[in-house]
Amino acid sequence: MLIPHPLLGLRDAQEFTYLGDARLIDRPTSGNEAELAEYVYLRDNPAGVHRELWFHEQGDRSWLVVTRNTLTHEILGAELARDVSLARKGATA
Amino acid sequence: MPDLSPLCALGAATPRRVTHGALTLTETPECGLASLALRRDTPPPALDLPGPGRWQAADGLTLIWTGPGQWLVELPGAAETDVAATLVKKVPGASITEQTDGWVLIEIASSAGAAPIERFLERAANIDQARFGPGSATRSPIEHLGTYVLRRAEDRLGIWGMRSAAESLWHALDTIAGRLDSRG
Amino acid sequence: MNRLSGGMIDRNQTIHFTFNGKRYQGHPGDTLASALLANGVQLVGRSFKYHRPRGIVAAGSEEPNALVTLREGARAEPNTRATMAELYDGLVARSQNHVGPLNFDLLAVNDLLSPFFAAGFYYKTFMWPRAFWEKLYEPAIRRAAGLGELSELPDPDAYDRGYLHADLLVIGAGPAGLAAALAAGRAGAKVILADEDFRLGGRLLAESDLLDGAPATEWIEAVKAELESLPNVRILTRTVIFGVYDHGIYGAVERVSDHLPTPGGAVRQTLWRIVAKRAVLAAGATERHIPFADNDRPGIMLAGAMRAYANRWATGPGTSAPVAIFTNNDDGHRTALDLMARGVPVAAVIDARRGVERQGDYRLLPEAEVVGTQGRLGLHSITVRTSRGSDTLQVGALGVAGGWNPNVHLASHHRGRPVWDERSLAFVPGQGGPGGLIPAGACGGKGSTAEALADGLRAATEALAELGLTAPALPLPQAEARQDNTAPIWHVPGKRRAWVDFQNDVTVKDIALAHKENMRPVEHLKRWTTLGMATDQGKTANVTALAVMAELTGKTIPQTGTTIFRPPYTGVSMGVLGGGDTGAHFRPRRLTPTHHWAKANGATFVEVGPWMRAQYFVRPGETHWRHSVDREVLAVRAGVGLCDVTTLGKVDVQGADATLFLDRLYANAMASLKVGMVRYGLMLREDGSAYDDGTCARLAEDHYVVTTTTANAGPVYRNMEFARQCLWPELDVQLISTTDAWAQIAVAGPKSRELLSRLVDGFDLSNEAFPFMACAPLTICGGLRARLFRISFSGELAYELAVPARYGHALMARLMEAGADLGATPYGTEALGVLRIEKGHAAGAELNGQTTGQMIGLGKMVSSKKDAIGNIMSRREGLAAEKRLLVGLQPVNATDTVVPGSHLFAQGAPRDLAHDQGWITSAAYSPHVGSSIGLAFLEDGANRMGEVIAAANPLQGSEVAVRVVPSHFVDPEGGRLRA
Repeated sequence: MLIPHPLLGLRDAQEFTYLGDARLIDRPTSGNEAELAEYVYLRDNPAGVHRELWFHEQGDRSWLVVTRNTLTHEILGAELARDVSLARKGATA
Repeated sequence: MPDLSPLCALGAATPRRVTHGALTLTETPECGLASLALRRDTPPPALDLPGPGRWQAADGLTLIWTGPGQWLVELPGAAETDVAATLVKKVPGASITEQTDGWVLIEIASSAGAAPIERFLERAANIDQARFGPGSATRSPIEHLGTYVLRRAEDRLGIWGMRSAAESLWHALDTIAGRLDSRG
Repeated sequence: MNRLSGGMIDRNQTIHFTFNGKRYQGHPGDTLASALLANGVQLVGRSFKYHRPRGIVAAGSEEPNALVTLREGARAEPNTRATMAELYDGLVARSQNHVGPLNFDLLAVNDLLSPFFAAGFYYKTFMWPRAFWEKLYEPAIRRAAGLGELSELPDPDAYDRGYLHADLLVIGAGPAGLAAALAAGRAGAKVILADEDFRLGGRLLAESDLLDGAPATEWIEAVKAELESLPNVRILTRTVIFGVYDHGIYGAVERVSDHLPTPGGAVRQTLWRIVAKRAVLAAGATERHIPFADNDRPGIMLAGAMRAYANRWATGPGTSAPVAIFTNNDDGHRTALDLMARGVPVAAVIDARRGVERQGDYRLLPEAEVVGTQGRLGLHSITVRTSRGSDTLQVGALGVAGGWNPNVHLASHHRGRPVWDERSLAFVPGQGGPGGLIPAGACGGKGSTAEALADGLRAATEALAELGLTAPALPLPQAEARQDNTAPIWHVPGKRRAWVDFQNDVTVKDIALAHKENMRPVEHLKRWTTLGMATDQGKTANVTALAVMAELTGKTIPQTGTTIFRPPYTGVSMGVLGGGDTGAHFRPRRLTPTHHWAKANGATFVEVGPWMRAQYFVRPGETHWRHSVDREVLAVRAGVGLCDVTTLGKVDVQGADATLFLDRLYANAMASLKVGMVRYGLMLREDGSAYDDGTCARLAEDHYVVTTTTANAGPVYRNMEFARQCLWPELDVQLISTTDAWAQIAVAGPKSRELLSRLVDGFDLSNEAFPFMACAPLTICGGLRARLFRISFSGELAYELAVPARYGHALMARLMEAGADLGATPYGTEALGVLRIEKGHAAGAELNGQTTGQMIGLGKMVSSKKDAIGNIMSRREGLAAEKRLLVGLQPVNATDTVVPGSHLFAQGAPRDLAHDQGWITSAAYSPHVGSSIGLAFLEDGANRMGEVIAAANPLQGSEVAVRVVPSHFVDPEGGRLRA
């Protein structure tokens, strides 16, 4: 696969380490155990469009949020996870 | 000067060098290296900082983009000096870390123009050479080893690899160059 | 030699080769197959199951029969297609799968036993008794059925890999591919043109048709010259594109040196990973045959192949006797005409269709079928049934023309489904399949030369438009535009066996049996009969088999459907997939800065992930590793030892918010750490389990160096970046790994301060000035920048001294020299392990992902005052209630050995899961204690000190009585390390 890195263009998936559901960005800050349990253990595993985290370990060390169709491997977009996280924090602040 | 003698990354007192046909590989221990990362409050540096995928020479230094807000800085000939201290003066208020000993630099030069370099690179790394002219720099795995590859000129590459894996990296590059030469 | 006129062989040079030990001659330009035919050799092998004599069937990579073992010794390569092996001087080949000489194979008895070897015979015959499968049936079958044999010697040749990037990849260099490559090349696109043949031209090379009134080679050579002159075009001959992967990635193997006697210093093959924005698939078509009784005799070939041998390689079908053609289409007649033009006598064209006419001066038998053949080791006659009855023709070869199947394979990767084209009676590429791949020419169902040329240009124009380029005007040569008019005649029914798949010995009867046994879906059919498996993947068989099954089920062929297409298109050697290096360089290794010093000083090395670490240092007279390790341990406890600990991960953490960041990363408090001090840090996973431990040194208000375990250096750094970028991007933190930058040497033992005092440049090492857990930058040996940490893994007074890596070697030598009178001793990972077990420090065996801070006795460290990663989840009911605790174990009988992995039971309790009370994580012989000792997680360990329990090792059927003791065997109060 080729990942469209927002800064570096198309890069081979072999340069990346896969993590999973991009919801891992939304770490609960409430300190509530039940909320954290959901964060740690409950993930969607859709057959279709999925937002997921990839780490450009053999590249610029950016974490990316990649939107990928898990059925076709079509990649619909990629953003810097840092930007995604800052935008969410800005929205909830 | 300390009364201890340094070793090159490839384990000898003097740097290694080999020529296969048009290509010469040279271990280059004398180049100093530091990492530079801008902080929230770092004053805008006087240096011209290259963008993603690029390197740039400025003020006797070579700056290599390594990630958002991060660069590696080559200080040619300065390996035996306090490179972090030198760089702090040029970019005050930034996060600077000495890296000279973290990496090994292997310079690859062609005596026959760009073609041998291109043939070498297509076997070494998954890099789209149409987008990798002089001025380009990228991190790229070579034989499973993380490296920074710089296109210094049409006929020259610089490759930085992990110092501890210098022997494996040299073996990989040496093998590629040797086989290209055998194939003619 | 029965060479014909013309052809594309270099008659000025004669080269020699041997087949089954007999010497023959050929010419450059020959394949092994063409040279064998030119020498009159028709019999080249024995079939898979029945050991039937077999000959060459095809002229390309689809060949099912002519598999030979090429070369000798370690270079012997089984199952090489003679049709793809380029002839070189001195080539040596052997036939396969026979016992005794090829013409008298003892296992031909299998053919008489054929009723036992029908479809599914493995599944039916060898079911009982079960134990016989492995010992009797399988070895016997493996001997009797199969292809070539491996040399079982190491491959002496080298392989490599490479990466290519292009705008357009053109797969196949026939008329469609050449037109596409030329158009794209002229448009300025970066083009790669790949073909598995060693010559450009594809099917044009096999035909006699003219282009613009001249031989096709003239046009091919002109196009080749132009493509070679374009800097944006790269031609890869001898290169097969074997698979399509996501987003325009193509796998290719270039046979760099297979046409040479040996590769010399070059590689044998190259694995190319090609990234192409678009691709034109111009892979051509493969002819199919028509099964009839005994249709597998040597001399029975595909008609198109016979034509190719005559036109390109100037050879007849290995016989001087007349030749017949059996066809269901017009293309069979073309073969007859071309053979006659080359002087090959044609006995008859047997056309199964009705109402056909002669196209030349040959005998035509219309509405006729071949119903039988004769000739034990080669064809000598065929039986033909016509509307007027049966007739026997004396022929030495028979060309069979059953129509052409487009090579839809690559277009059908990614689950692309080919669709049935009723006009050409073949599957053509359908919707779906790999994105950006455009079929053209014969593989898209456009089989005439004129159509293929135009379609190649059309496909390139389409691809270029998608790339934002404009296709140039490209005048195409005038070419033939005939249609084949293939009739749906799929096989000739009869009582005797008619082969569908030659390579797997699958007959029409086998398909009928599969049908009868309800193995009707194509995927079942394939597995029940083995149809379409092995090296040729049924290229000449599959569609015919579907047609036979469709006939049996009463369904149409498209309703019957095809099996899934998967890479590779043709066989790929494991050697080239492995690529790169073998042996010591199979994977990269990392060496410590003192590696060469250690090697020169008797070290035995151990692999720790990619690192090579000194395991122990053997001194003269030491005959067992324990001698060395015990000596090293005692040297540390009594004097001073030196150990390279560079491999521990080091991460430089800086920034205005570095303190806050680290406080959120470590389970224990970090915010209170003072500048110039080090703290032990425990990291948890977010689920609360212990993850990694190390030290955190504060070099300045906004500057820390943290260490990780050797094994987790990569993952911890990744998690730190995750925290920095994804969880808390608002913090001002910068991270960079410095693992390799510093050579770090542990200087451990009661005399370590004394030793260090001899190296430092006036630095105050006193306990007051530099207490336990202090750190500082300093200079040593006359001005060398260094860092000193007063930390201890052994429980002794100890330091870790870091210098720029290039000085690691000299520093080790200097420490040894300066500490000679203090008994300075280098120690390796074994002694390191013993020392830490004696001290009760947790390491990888304790931090195995299933344990918590509480279990390793660090529960109180996990702060309840802050939200760090994992802290909240670590207080979950289940984890908080965990009562297993890290304890020490000592054998009751001092000569017993504590075995790690043993499980713990109360004395007298049943040895079962319900009564399992924990397990031993680490064990070693302790020279300090004088016996074997262990660390273990034990249920309610805190309250069982002094109790004797059983350590059971059911794998070895042994059991040891052990006493529970505190996990610190050495200096439990910690006085030594604070001395």
